[in-house]
Amino acid sequence: MSGTIYQALADAVIEGNQGKAVECTADLLKDGTDPKMILDNGLLKGMEVVGIKFRDNLIFVPQVLISARAFKSSLSILEPFLSKSDTEGMGTVVIGTVKGDIHDIGKNIVAMMLKSSGFRVVDLGIDVKAEKFIDAIKNEKAVILGMSALLTTTMGYMKAVIDKIKNENLSVKTIVGGAPISNSFAEQIGADGYAKNASDAVELSKRIIK
Amino acid sequence: MTSKERVKIAMELGTADRVPLMCQLSLGHYFLHSGIDPVEIWFTSDGFSEALHTMAERYKFDGILVNLPGRERDYTSQIKKIERGEEEIRINWRNGHYTVLPRDDNPHYYNASGDRSFPQFEEIDPEKLFYVEPWDITEVSHPYTWGFSEQVAQRDGFFPEYHLDNIKDTIRKNKNNLSIHSEVFSPWSQFLELLNYESALIAILDDPGKVRACLERLTEGTIELAKSQAECGVDAILISSAFAGAGLISRENYIDFVLPYEKRIIDSLHQSTDVPVYTHTCGSIGDRLDLMLETGTDGIDTLDPPPLGTVELPEAKETLRNRAFIKGNIDPVNTLLMGNREQIIKDIKWRLEIGKPGGGYILSSACSIAPGTPTENIELLSSIIETEGKY
Repeated sequence: MSGTIYQALADAVIEGNQGKAVECTADLLKDGTDPKMILDNGLLKGMEVVGIKFRDNLIFVPQVLISARAFKSSLSILEPFLSKSDTEGMGTVVIGTVKGDIHDIGKNIVAMMLKSSGFRVVDLGIDVKAEKFIDAIKNEKAVILGMSALLTTTMGYMKAVIDKIKNENLSVKTIVGGAPISNSFAEQIGADGYAKNASDAVELSKRIIK
Repeated sequence: MTSKERVKIAMELGTADRVPLMCQLSLGHYFLHSGIDPVEIWFTSDGFSEALHTMAERYKFDGILVNLPGRERDYTSQIKKIERGEEEIRINWRNGHYTVLPRDDNPHYYNASGDRSFPQFEEIDPEKLFYVEPWDITEVSHPYTWGFSEQVAQRDGFFPEYHLDNIKDTIRKNKNNLSIHSEVFSPWSQFLELLNYESALIAILDDPGKVRACLERLTEGTIELAKSQAECGVDAILISSAFAGAGLISRENYIDFVLPYEKRIIDSLHQSTDVPVYTHTCGSIGDRLDLMLETGTDGIDTLDPPPLGTVELPEAKETLRNRAFIKGNIDPVNTLLMGNREQIIKDIKWRLEIGKPGGGYILSSACSIAPGTPTENIELLSSIIETEGKY
């Protein structure tokens, strides 16, 4: 019975059916199902499929956004029942769009895909200064810092953040992405990795913390 | 042969004396390199048109894209205070809101709490839409008001008289006979700018019927604006359609939410004027050049090459041959911004080798030239084209 409803929950997330996803989650909770099982077998399972379809160009940003909305709504009713260790998952990623840059759609999709892959994500938003990144890395005990930039005028700031991290001897791994960013640029500024898109960011994050 | 004639021949898919050169510069590039105060460039027609001509002359471009609308002529009466910092200029307005003009990037308007405001999709009444101007000095609102005016713009007389000032000023100052192009935004771009991107993209799945109704109305306004630009005497009209690539939407979405509306604009202009119309779409459009051609566009601008986009010039040349002119596709980041002299020369020569044969090619950066691009890198383009671009 649970297996079927887990699948129904996963399908609702894949379809981006917010109402159905919330309903399935509530039903499972009411039946006394372990919240961690609901998270793993329903919500994360669904988002894993979304990630694969997005990677393979079978779905595009609008579909990902409505799946994320269904995922988030369901998670919000599930979260009060999850223990701290359940939500910490694979570790904490601090993410943000760097200072001077107010573009966030790419960063938001990466944040959502990381979250749905089992990472705890602390999203600092847009126009984030180095100090704010550093504070969050320390306070949240982040294992990864993800930085995004859409503009050629702001991509250089990523180096300033990385330099500051190195100066402070923080052990966090840094990954970067955004339209003008490339692998060679990431190497040039001393980042630990470059992700071309959200799926790449998830794969890279999993690999980098091993 | 004048620049205007050279570009015209290329847009008609012919061969002129040489390949024309015409790049779009980012606003930040004008701010950094024109020697004109960013406040003057952003807020005045005289400052902007001066910056356009100054930089076109410096880089020996054959054409100019006028990509900002005219401004309220008495905007200074709304200013409370201007603060000039090293990294940015902040203009505090009498209404408590403020504009930040970075020294090297696009300005943005913020409300008193430091947020940018966007209407919710539920609040949008399609009947009240006509055109959304993303470059309005107070950004977008719904129902639409221009600048600091509190009057809701009505369909009759929607565009304020000053809206065409930048085009008129640029044409008036055109002593070098350059090809002067104007810009309208695709209804799809306007819709995304109206709601902010995520909300707009979600809306096409939540209520596609309402989205189509919005796009219908925005198409009407776009046609009216483009026709008025043509009447000013522009040499071409560019449809800015930045969000129609595979980075955001599928081919099916393009067919549904982009193609029919851009086609209507282009058909309407082709019926009423001789002014060519071309389309600027950023990023990954390699999978939809055929669909872009179905809009009836006269040319395709940008054509971002990998890794920025997905367009390989040899393939694009084949697909578009005798059907639409090409304006592009130099990588503005990896070649012009970060490349060295040798890399740039090699890259430009190769693009000319592919793009030049048979005509219909305008050498250009793919997307806008980045603010920090070394000026000597851009100056290289005209020297290369003089030797390698000749027919």
